[in-house]
Amino acid sequence: MAEGRYDDLVRDLATLGRGIDPPVPSEGLTTAVMDRVAALPTPDRPVNAWTRVLRRTGRWVVDSVESRRRRVALVFGAVLLALLAAPPVRAAVVDWFGFGGVLVEQGPSGPGAAPPPPDVAQDWSVSEAAAAVDFTLSVPEDLGDPDGVEVSPDRRLVSMSWATDEDGLVRLDQFDARFDFSVLKRAPGVFYAAVGGTDALWFEEPHEVVLLEPDGSRRTESARLAGHTLIWLDDVTTMRLEGDLSLERAVEIAESCVTVE
Amino acid sequence: MRGGDRDAYAELVNRHAPVAIRTAALLGAGGEAEDVVQEAFVKAYAALDRFLPGAPFRSWLLRIVANETHNLHRASGRRMARERRAWEQSQPLLLARPDDPAEALLSLERQSALVRGVARLSPEHRQVVTCRYLLDLDEAETAAVLGWPRGTVKSRLRRALIKLGDMLDTEASRDRTSEVTQGG
Repeated sequence: MAEGRYDDLVRDLATLGRGIDPPVPSEGLTTAVMDRVAALPTPDRPVNAWTRVLRRTGRWVVDSVESRRRRVALVFGAVLLALLAAPPVRAAVVDWFGFGGVLVEQGPSGPGAAPPPPDVAQDWSVSEAAAAVDFTLSVPEDLGDPDGVEVSPDRRLVSMSWATDEDGLVRLDQFDARFDFSVLKRAPGVFYAAVGGTDALWFEEPHEVVLLEPDGSRRTESARLAGHTLIWLDDVTTMRLEGDLSLERAVEIAESCVTVE
Repeated sequence: MRGGDRDAYAELVNRHAPVAIRTAALLGAGGEAEDVVQEAFVKAYAALDRFLPGAPFRSWLLRIVANETHNLHRASGRRMARERRAWEQSQPLLLARPDDPAEALLSLERQSALVRGVARLSPEHRQVVTCRYLLDLDEAETAAVLGWPRGTVKSRLRRALIKLGDMLDTEASRDRTSEVTQGG
């Protein structure tokens, strides 16, 4: 290939870019941003970081990122535990079953509504995440490219999130499901569904989700309340889709999953 | 938020707003570029604890701008429709000519041929050409903004240039052929 030809092309593309007359920031932009930022709850870490911004030229250092990462490493152990909110039952645990690495217990009833799932940081690209883990990742074509992708430090769990107009915040967790739970039982508040002809579980009620450490103990600080959740298996991967979705929509999204090459 | 921190962030907003708006506009935010950028600065602040130590702020901010711009077109349905909507917003900026013809940096023919070529690229190729050449970001920034590995940026850029070069050549030879035909 004639290099010169591409040199000309690159030069002309750069010239085309330079010739653009883009919209310029209005005078009120900075004020608008600062007003909104001032209204945010004051996070400790950013404030510390700002002090550093002032001292270090052009570089930001957030000292607490490392400690946060260590904490996450502890939290993401082996399996997700979903505590079901069943009709008022005083006994904390009356039944349990496992499904592709998800241990389900029936627990006391929770509040009537769950908050939207937490969104995911923009730390990774999909292809980087796919290369980092040794199970196959999928992305639902219906949702397009995720806004955030995270890989857990032990490389067993990949989380993605989408902020959608139609469905609100949707979160998909994928993790290696090669765990063995010998008992599988039906429990109130969870329904069997099908994704592409394979079994799936549908959690209609708000339920608590807790991450377990490899020894099976609960990381109580990781506990959170989850809303509608669909869990299905894709080969050795457990897929967990959460959001303000109907079962039909959740299955539609699940069935649009395409393997990341 | 303390006074000094406010000033520091206001300074960052001032410094990076022009490139942020330019990026939003060329990635397809159209008339909503400023809103997108305002949102991005607020999100950047709110997510500061996720910011990786030592990473340059500009790349990180532009990544959020790119995501916000992308979100604008979510309602347009499937991915191809969204990409088309985004391109419809940015194309007029690329086709605009200065009021004074003497200020034009490219001939009208070359400019429109380049824009036609970019329009026919796949969305990924168009995005990589937009970031690397039209926005003049370096390769690392392009990778950060698009959320792709460096190697992907390199290979897509190379393929995009080959495709663009081929399209422009084909067009040029067709023009020459028609001149000959007319001349004969």
